[in-house]
Amino acid sequence: MDILERPLSANEGIKARSNFLRGTIVESLGVVSTGSLADDDTQLTKFHGFYQQDDRDLRAERGKQRMEKAFSFMVRMRIPAGILTPTQWLAAEKVAIQRANGTMRLTTRQTIQFHGIIKSNLRPAFQEMYTEMLDSIAACGDVNRNVVASVHPWAGKLHEAVAATADGIATHLLPHSRAWHEIWIGEERVAGGIEEAEPIYGKTYLPRKFKIAVALPPYNDVDALAQDLAFIAIIENGSVVGYNVAAGGGMGMTHGEPDTYPRPGDIIGFCTPDQVNDVAEKIVTVQRDNGDRSDRKHARLKYTMDRMGVAAFVAAVNERLNVPLQPAREFAFVSTGDRFGWVESADGTSYFGMYIESGRVAGRAMAGLHKIAELGVGRFMITANQNLAIAEIPAASRDAVAALVAEYGLDQKAGGLRCNAIACVALPTCGLALAESERYLPHLITRLEAVLEGLGLADEEITIRMTGCPNGCGRPYMSEIGLVGRTPGVYNLYLGASHTSMRMNKLFKRDVGEEAIVAALTPVFEAFAKDRQPGEHFGDFVVRTGVVAETITGLDFHENLSPELRS
Amino acid sequence: MAIAPLLPKTAPFAEDQLAALNSVMSATTADQRQWLAGFLAGFAAANDSGQAAAPAAPPAKRTPLTILFGTESGNSEALAAQTRKAATKLGFAPKVVDMADITMAQLAALENVVIIAATWGEGDPPQRAVDFQEALMADDAPRMDKVRYAVLALGDRAYAQFCEVGKRFDERLAALGATRVADRVDCDLDFEAPANAWIDATLAVLKPADEPIAAEHAVIHVDFARAAPEGPTRAKPFAAEVTEHVRLTGSRSSSDTHHIALSLEGSGIAYEPGDALGIVPTNDPDLADQVLNAAGLAGNAALRTALIERLDITTLTGKQVEDFGKLTGFTPEAGWATGRQIIDLLEAGASTLTPEQLTGLLRPLPPRYYSIASSRKAVDEEAHLLVAALRYESLGRARQGVASIDMTVRHRDSMNVFLRANQHFRLPADPARPIIMVGPGTGVAPFRGFMQEREATGATGKNWLFFGHRNYVHDFLYQLEWQDWLANGTLNRMDVAFSRDQPEKRYVQDAMWAQRRDLAGWLRDGAALYVCGDMNAMAKDVHAVLLRILADQGSPDEKAELDAIRRDGRYLRDVY
Repeated sequence: MDILERPLSANEGIKARSNFLRGTIVESLGVVSTGSLADDDTQLTKFHGFYQQDDRDLRAERGKQRMEKAFSFMVRMRIPAGILTPTQWLAAEKVAIQRANGTMRLTTRQTIQFHGIIKSNLRPAFQEMYTEMLDSIAACGDVNRNVVASVHPWAGKLHEAVAATADGIATHLLPHSRAWHEIWIGEERVAGGIEEAEPIYGKTYLPRKFKIAVALPPYNDVDALAQDLAFIAIIENGSVVGYNVAAGGGMGMTHGEPDTYPRPGDIIGFCTPDQVNDVAEKIVTVQRDNGDRSDRKHARLKYTMDRMGVAAFVAAVNERLNVPLQPAREFAFVSTGDRFGWVESADGTSYFGMYIESGRVAGRAMAGLHKIAELGVGRFMITANQNLAIAEIPAASRDAVAALVAEYGLDQKAGGLRCNAIACVALPTCGLALAESERYLPHLITRLEAVLEGLGLADEEITIRMTGCPNGCGRPYMSEIGLVGRTPGVYNLYLGASHTSMRMNKLFKRDVGEEAIVAALTPVFEAFAKDRQPGEHFGDFVVRTGVVAETITGLDFHENLSPELRS
Repeated sequence: MAIAPLLPKTAPFAEDQLAALNSVMSATTADQRQWLAGFLAGFAAANDSGQAAAPAAPPAKRTPLTILFGTESGNSEALAAQTRKAATKLGFAPKVVDMADITMAQLAALENVVIIAATWGEGDPPQRAVDFQEALMADDAPRMDKVRYAVLALGDRAYAQFCEVGKRFDERLAALGATRVADRVDCDLDFEAPANAWIDATLAVLKPADEPIAAEHAVIHVDFARAAPEGPTRAKPFAAEVTEHVRLTGSRSSSDTHHIALSLEGSGIAYEPGDALGIVPTNDPDLADQVLNAAGLAGNAALRTALIERLDITTLTGKQVEDFGKLTGFTPEAGWATGRQIIDLLEAGASTLTPEQLTGLLRPLPPRYYSIASSRKAVDEEAHLLVAALRYESLGRARQGVASIDMTVRHRDSMNVFLRANQHFRLPADPARPIIMVGPGTGVAPFRGFMQEREATGATGKNWLFFGHRNYVHDFLYQLEWQDWLANGTLNRMDVAFSRDQPEKRYVQDAMWAQRRDLAGWLRDGAALYVCGDMNAMAKDVHAVLLRILADQGSPDEKAELDAIRRDGRYLRDVY
């Protein structure tokens, strides 16, 4: 049977019945005896920017205590290109302190996640962020999520251009439903007004989440090929003349199901800046109409493209566009990392990039950032690597910011592995986590750093990413060293992605714990130290020397494994 | 309810005769007993010459006596009953009256009045005596010239306003022209002995001199209503096995509240929802050692046992400071006792005491009372308690509760318990009457018993619970049980207020105010409202919000309306 004829997944019915994302959320909020929402509502609230979770550390004790699971909510803001004013930063921080668990989690989608918000605090949290024009609409759910963009503000007008492009896409693809404003802000529903409709999405929205990035070469901090859709800026004579379009990237897969796989995006053409919104919209609608709505594990654009064939997909897109895509143009990436420390921009302002371990802003760092925000200058920029930059600092304020950076230790240096690390949140709040990630990766890195230091590789830039499950929030398959949780303390170890995230990695060891990870990587590091070619990155080295086979497409991700892994 | 007429064991019959008589008597009807009484009277008149010449004083001539009580914990009510019993024996015609049920005009018309008045907290009367106090102290209170009275005051020396209510009533009645026939006695927590002495002395004075005290044997007073075997008492508690002990608050909670199930099997304790269980606790052995050290008595094993098991070592009264000063010359400024305990006094005074001096200084260890959190209809021969471990700091020193720590920390295998019935905190007699329960923190305990009872009996009245605590996620006591009751319709509504989940503090009274329309509606539809928990802050705030709610919902005189609800027995409190 054709995929589009199969019975729809349960979520499709929930969306269809939801009256444009309202469901019974208001009723669920009124039930004070439980900290949870009605089941269907937990699917709909994703479109409002939050997930229902429970503290898994506490599950064992709760039953005995005659209390339900320790439910709370993870709220993700919508922050196109990751840029906040100092006042917005302070508003977000206030939400974190007063309504959440006191921390702010910077994410790989350049947004801030709040954890531990209980039901009674949802409305106040949204209302407080809304006073600074912040919202969480479509931060999760089967829609276009937060649009990310490279954070390289010293690039001046180029950065402004990609950030503006990201913001434009975000606005263009924002759901039209007023459900968020009604439920959380108390906006009156217009009686007898124009009937609500979603001109781009329709009433069942997309088959699955949709992620868009805007990259500014030579920096690939946004991981362009890991996104459903990426616009890669093409720069000629110092300005952005247009964007290469990459489609069909995506990280998620399921353990033990080889027909699920991560996939790097295909570069399918080029468009001019004024075409960007139209291209985004048409690719979204092709996915809307052709995506698999029967099985959420095969619903992302990457599967739609492999099922249709890339050429047929591009033809379908071009058919809907006013002006077809042009041939892609040349570009090159050099890195995926962030720039740390002070950088001077051509316009006389300064930029300070800071490393935030696992993106978790808390304690002293939070206090320091509060002081900086109170100065009221510059802009806070969250990077797709879960780090933070204070950009556009006027010359007059640079000393004041620098003093606070020093006072609060915001200039901590990290080695080449650590500062290129990404960990997802995982335990205890993420319901999908099979193993630790954020709470564990720093420790594992310390173990690996000891090996690297002995080999003179302490400053070598190597990307390492860990996720607690195979769904890929931390983009582990695009990492030179990837670790994906299997069960507590046990990971699959992947090697061989390119340092620029243009190539995915390959399974190297299955089901390994900490000692086995260190033992497996040590000889590879040793060989790298000894045999690398000048300027060669670790990911390229392991592929060239045959430690793992090269992964070319999503469909061969599970292929060409070493004999011991074929089972 | 019919009461089986059983002859007391003291009756002048052999055991088998008693058994035979009881067997016959218990099967008699009222008519049969009446006939028998007449027959025996006639038989005595005809045959028992000499004996019949000294009949008991005819009822018409018995001295009337009104025993007026105001109770919160049940102590003054129990003493009132005891007084009635003694007075009956002495030939009075006694009547026990709750202060809530008497007007000033009625009081002024009485001849002999015994008043037993408890002081609660900082000089407050029990809730049910609030009206009485107000009326008595009012400028327009009537003259009481005809009244002969005596006051027994109950209180706790740990509070500055010790026995204040008793003193207030005593002085006011005198000022209104009443005749004080016996001096007031102010009783501390160990009130039994002084109260008994006062009762005897006072009744002797009230007895008219010209009326001879009736011979003990002439009238046999059988208190049929109390014929049931007495259960365990404070003096003879029952060792109840701890059958379950779980901490209910989460591991990250700022509070430490436990569910403790006790087996009452074989105890004879038949509690009703709303009753409390008295716990005879033991003191922290470490604190006992500290006290011994401070008094220079370390190593005295017998004394140590007494300090752990029998004496109060966690409070300090002004009188104790005074007594200690007489022994040692240590005389701190007035009010020094506030916030301190005996250990502070001993350490500050730095004197060596004899064992007798130390025990003479200390008060007996009082029991602690916990509202029972279960219904026997649901848990059979168990009683469940909700116990918050009490820990606090005062004057730079960590302090802790006695019974709560005894039960939650020392993990005792059994606890010594006795029943303290609370007739003033019962479910409505009418199962169809709706109820509103306000029980933040451990105050929710009796309402779990209420819900168990109403579920087990299939009571049709609607039930609405207001619960509150600090944090929703960590402190939602018995959450799954309330959810089940909501799901099966036993509990109809629940509103909550958690104080520390958001920047602004939110309490049950705020949740009540938010629901004011429906709440007033329920009350006006006849709902009974129950409040349990902290007396000093919560109960006062809840009272205030009730007045605000009634006013907001159109009451022309909210105070009168709430008073009427209370007099109707629909505003009941168990506060501590």
